[in-house]
Amino acid sequence: MEVIAAYGTIMIALAVIFGLYMTWGIGANDLANAMGTSVGAGAVTVKQAIGIAIVFEFSGAVLAGGNVTQTIRKGIIDPTNIVATPEILVYGMLAALLAAAVWLMIASSKGWPVSTTHSIVGALIGFAVVGIGPNAVNWGKVGNIVASWVVSPVIGGTIAFLLVLSTRKLIFDTDNPLRNAKRCAPFYIFLVGFIISLVTLFKGLTHLNIELSGPQSFGLAICIGLMTSAIGMFFIRKVKEDPEADRDFHFASVEKVFTPMMLFTACSMAFAHGSNDVANGIGPLAAVISIVTSGGEVMQSSKMPVWILFVGGTGIVIGLVTLGYRVMLTVGTKITELTPSRGFCAELAAASTVVLASRTGLPVSTTHILVGAVLGVGLARGIGALDLRVILNIIVSWIVTLPAGAIMAMVFFFFLKGVFG
Amino acid sequence: MVAMSTNPLAGLLRKSPFKPIQEHMRTVFSCVMLLPALFDALYRKEQGEVTELAGQIGVLETEADGIKATYRHNMPKTLLLPVDRKDLLSLIHEQDSVADGVEKISQLLVNRDMTVPDAIKGGLDELLEGTMEIITQAKNMIEELDELVHVGFSGREHDKVSRMIDGVRKSEHNLDKILKKVNRTLFSVEKELDPVSVMFWYRIIEEVGNLSDHAENMADRLLLFLSK
Repeated sequence: MEVIAAYGTIMIALAVIFGLYMTWGIGANDLANAMGTSVGAGAVTVKQAIGIAIVFEFSGAVLAGGNVTQTIRKGIIDPTNIVATPEILVYGMLAALLAAAVWLMIASSKGWPVSTTHSIVGALIGFAVVGIGPNAVNWGKVGNIVASWVVSPVIGGTIAFLLVLSTRKLIFDTDNPLRNAKRCAPFYIFLVGFIISLVTLFKGLTHLNIELSGPQSFGLAICIGLMTSAIGMFFIRKVKEDPEADRDFHFASVEKVFTPMMLFTACSMAFAHGSNDVANGIGPLAAVISIVTSGGEVMQSSKMPVWILFVGGTGIVIGLVTLGYRVMLTVGTKITELTPSRGFCAELAAASTVVLASRTGLPVSTTHILVGAVLGVGLARGIGALDLRVILNIIVSWIVTLPAGAIMAMVFFFFLKGVFG
Repeated sequence: MVAMSTNPLAGLLRKSPFKPIQEHMRTVFSCVMLLPALFDALYRKEQGEVTELAGQIGVLETEADGIKATYRHNMPKTLLLPVDRKDLLSLIHEQDSVADGVEKISQLLVNRDMTVPDAIKGGLDELLEGTMEIITQAKNMIEELDELVHVGFSGREHDKVSRMIDGVRKSEHNLDKILKKVNRTLFSVEKELDPVSVMFWYRIIEEVGNLSDHAENMADRLLLFLSK
């Protein structure tokens, strides 16, 4: 207890710095990856993508990010054994944050497809095992999280598969694809607004003191869906037929209808990312602040102050502006094979899956779910070629990231313990 | 630095394998389209022009070979494709055989100063016209590949390409008849001609006939795409 009283301010300062570092990395890489799809399809420019990201990443974090933050903050580690020495948990959270951020930077510079989520979960487990003991890890919860890493891309893929089939049935495989595209577009845009808001709002936003009944949340979600749909119709009415491009590829004009539609899925991707991945950076930060300000209470019963969300959001925006825009540009030029209609299906599927995971408090990887969704499009025989070696790389990166994050967290933990203790 | 992209999506999404096939077919098509001019020069006994056209054919054939080689380089077994990888590889092989065949014919005409026997001129023209038609049909069929992928090889596009495949097969059947007729005509006059020339004419006719066989094989590959 005395340690916390003596060094509380320094601990909070360190937590904020490490939190900014981690969220900077998330913004520079993770978010840029998620938004790169829309940039690549030509739906938004890099500048617009940054604007969208700032607005929707924040809203995602504030409106739907609470549950995952809770999981990272106190769902994985059970601190009942260290009630008397709360500083252990502070060192641990700081170590985990730093370990995840450093690992992320090493992996990114090597070009490995690691996930921020896997890094922080691995780091938390690593600290808990050596800092408190193997029993302090909530293994049941960890099992659920790991299972969700396998299940969530499959769900994303299935939704994308069905969406692609629906676009074929309703638009591409008809006598007048362009007319049908313009007719169906408002419905698809409605789906974007409706699904994301329904999952977010269902049964209310308790952390913001907004109570909603089932029918009320349905009604509100429908309203938001209709609103997005109305905005979408404004853009779609401007799409003109391009007979020149159609001669080479018959569906060129139809694809042009989907381009403005990807603007909406870009927003939903940023929202989904905010609802899930911001927590990786601010969860441990919230834990440190809660312990220090309560004078050493490890159970963290206090509510999370809103300014922490702003620290997270700021870090991500700085990451995006300093390095992320470049990542977006490279990613955008590399994934031109994803035409707007396929990109729309993949992004809508991925965003819905991520928001659903956020709702249940499961930290998942946005990028991996997007990969799953694109595979779903491929399984519908809708993409020229997908290189399955990437799947192997992802699996290898899981296997490496968990112990790497864990070992680094252990090292940093003992270092911090030595410095403060 | 973090700026290096770790995006698995960039690695996942490969360039469509159907676009190079279409590009290859366009090159093969331009190669075949030089055949009528080549025979026209032969009719007019302009050996210099024949050699020049044969040179152009050679350039296009090499270009097609290059596309095929790059294509094979970029087809690892780990790709998830909407069609069988082997069928794609044999499709580009069949296309390439067409360009090879055209080059072979042009070389035969360059290596020997050939005189066209008057008796077979009519049949030869018919044969060339039929070949142009079937290769054009085959090219149009290949041009539908990207649309086919877009709708998952089903529905209207499926039926459309199905009809195109039928068209190629029907044309090939007609061409076989023309081929038989030209051969019979050549046979009926062969005693009046120089024996070595006759041998070469049989060979040239056979090589021209082979072009449409390759077109039919292409149609068969596409049928496999549709039936998967």
